[in-house]
Amino acid sequence: MTGSIHEKAKIELRDVRKSFGAVNVIQGLDLTIEGGEFVVFVGPSGCGKSTLLRMIAGLEDVTSGDILIAGRDVTDLDPSRRGIAMVFQSYALYPHMNVRENLSFGLEMAKTPRDEIERQVQAAAQILKIEPLLDRRPGQLSGGQRQRVAIGRAIVRKPLAFLFDEPLSNLDAELRVSMRIEIARLHRELGNTMIYVTHDQTEAMTLSDRIVVLRDGVIEQVGTPREVYEDPNNLFVAGFIGSPRMNFVDAVYMAKNHIGVADAVMPIPQPLIGISEGENVKLGIRPEHLTVGDRRKDALRVKVDFSEYLGSTRYIYCYLPSGEMLTVEQRDGRYFSPGEEAWLSCEPECLRLFTADGRRLRPAALHVEATP
Amino acid sequence: MINSQNIHDGAPIRRRSGRQRRKQLAGLLFIAPALILVATFFVIPLGMAFWMSLHNWPLLGRPRFIGFGNYIRLTQDAQFWSSMRFTVYYTVIVTIAIFAVAFPLALFAEKAHRFTKFYRTAFFLPVVVGFGSASLLWAWLLDVDSGLFSPAAEYLGLMTTRINLLADFDTTFWSIIIMVVWKTAGFNMIILLTGLQGISTEVQEAARIDGASSLQRFRRITLPLMRRTIALALILSVSGSMLAFDQFYIIADGGPQNRTVTAVYWIFSQSFGSFRLGYGAALSMVLLVILVFISVVQLRLLRNPEGM
Repeated sequence: MTGSIHEKAKIELRDVRKSFGAVNVIQGLDLTIEGGEFVVFVGPSGCGKSTLLRMIAGLEDVTSGDILIAGRDVTDLDPSRRGIAMVFQSYALYPHMNVRENLSFGLEMAKTPRDEIERQVQAAAQILKIEPLLDRRPGQLSGGQRQRVAIGRAIVRKPLAFLFDEPLSNLDAELRVSMRIEIARLHRELGNTMIYVTHDQTEAMTLSDRIVVLRDGVIEQVGTPREVYEDPNNLFVAGFIGSPRMNFVDAVYMAKNHIGVADAVMPIPQPLIGISEGENVKLGIRPEHLTVGDRRKDALRVKVDFSEYLGSTRYIYCYLPSGEMLTVEQRDGRYFSPGEEAWLSCEPECLRLFTADGRRLRPAALHVEATP
Repeated sequence: MINSQNIHDGAPIRRRSGRQRRKQLAGLLFIAPALILVATFFVIPLGMAFWMSLHNWPLLGRPRFIGFGNYIRLTQDAQFWSSMRFTVYYTVIVTIAIFAVAFPLALFAEKAHRFTKFYRTAFFLPVVVGFGSASLLWAWLLDVDSGLFSPAAEYLGLMTTRINLLADFDTTFWSIIIMVVWKTAGFNMIILLTGLQGISTEVQEAARIDGASSLQRFRRITLPLMRRTIALALILSVSGSMLAFDQFYIIADGGPQNRTVTAVYWIFSQSFGSFRLGYGAALSMVLLVILVFISVVQLRLLRNPEGM
């Protein structure tokens, strides 16, 4: 089934589960993707993100639950009848067909008239600037060109939704950036619903309207890139999103809106709920929120281990007296030699606190129910 | 006049050519064992066979050079051409039969089942039996008195009297075809299975999303992507069948009425029955040329297109 190229299909997952024998890969997911939204599934290897995408595509059976695309239950429908198109990590082009045949194969299967096929192939080739490649075989194309053809094959089908399974993983760093921009432009131009699986945080942060963070077949958080980055629901999301990752150190919740970290006492903006005085907590601080300054009561005393120069920024790796490691993203160009003592401070608003078992501790005034 | 530039440039060129020579020598040393083996067991015997084919070469006594006399003689050898026709007929039928069995087996064995390994082993098992042994086994199975098929058919009431399956050309021929398919389908299944496993799962899935049915995927994706594997299986099957001998010699002894005499059978009977080694060598050379021609045509037809 195909719809208009501008059709924006809502995708709903209702208590979707997937088991391989006794192993539960997807454990009862509920998720609604609005029409025209660009949603990225991220998570560590084996979290079930590709399996979930394949279930939406119809390439993997659903153990239980329902999948709805544009309001229609497609749970038991064949992939070709779901109105979706998929771009694979390995491009999955038909090696024995030239680009033109690759693009037109799906339309041929749908018994589209010849002249209509030619018109749509030309239109897709024009969008993706692959017209000069139409008579070449995949073996004669570069990685970037192949990926363009794979996207073109998806476009010609005029799907309700595009599914991307780590489509840029096989490309080199430079090409990945340019293809990323092309995919973003494509979404802006076509406006279709797009689901994109990746383990690359930059792709997730830059492409998505919303990010779905998965772990062990469970959604840990759904939110805009800003929400997921700045307001993580738990220790896992906080640690998974962001590069270099968030620093975590042991702390103790103290009275009067303070926490004790190593030999420092740091203020927090407001009292926390769900925790009492003297309880151990995990303190999370993003590397860019730490600044190297003067010795103060609320500053962390660290010893510099080594630093990495990256041009516009420098990462300083240092240790607290407790042996916990901290990463500091420093932009002022100051140099610290290994073994040097330094004092790190952070604005209270930038501190994120978690319970020992990883739940987010929020200030009483800001407390909201965790999503989903 | 020699200028300084020439003298300056000369040294590196000499050094480079010296290095290239050493590399070439190393390459030759690496392929030397294979070259020696091929020369000893193929090229030299081939030359000797060709030399033999130019002689009247009895088993005992002095060979006599007769030039292309044997080749002229074989053009008028009705039995040779009759056996050649039969061999080609047998090759066509048995190759089709082997593929008709091996391809479904490969498709079945490729899919993950509970007993996949068992099926693959079971299908492959007859391959490990030698052709001679398999032929002896089937000769016994087909025996009208002490065999299995005829007495079993009579016992089960399928036939009123026992029928000698080897007394009639059709039953002999098809019995041997069944035996050869039983014996070799497993080998072809393994070759085809490797070809099937070489096709990316994602390509098949892309075709599913594109709306291709199982049959369309097989015809439009699987078959074209297996061209090289099919070519290999086809060449092995055709060349093996063109050289068929054991089964016809052991099971049917060329009968009934010499109608199952294959080309190799005729070469064998001329060389070691009539002791005309020179003539047998000439027949072998002709068979070799025909086989090379068939293989080249097959390879050309099934070669992958450019850019694949």
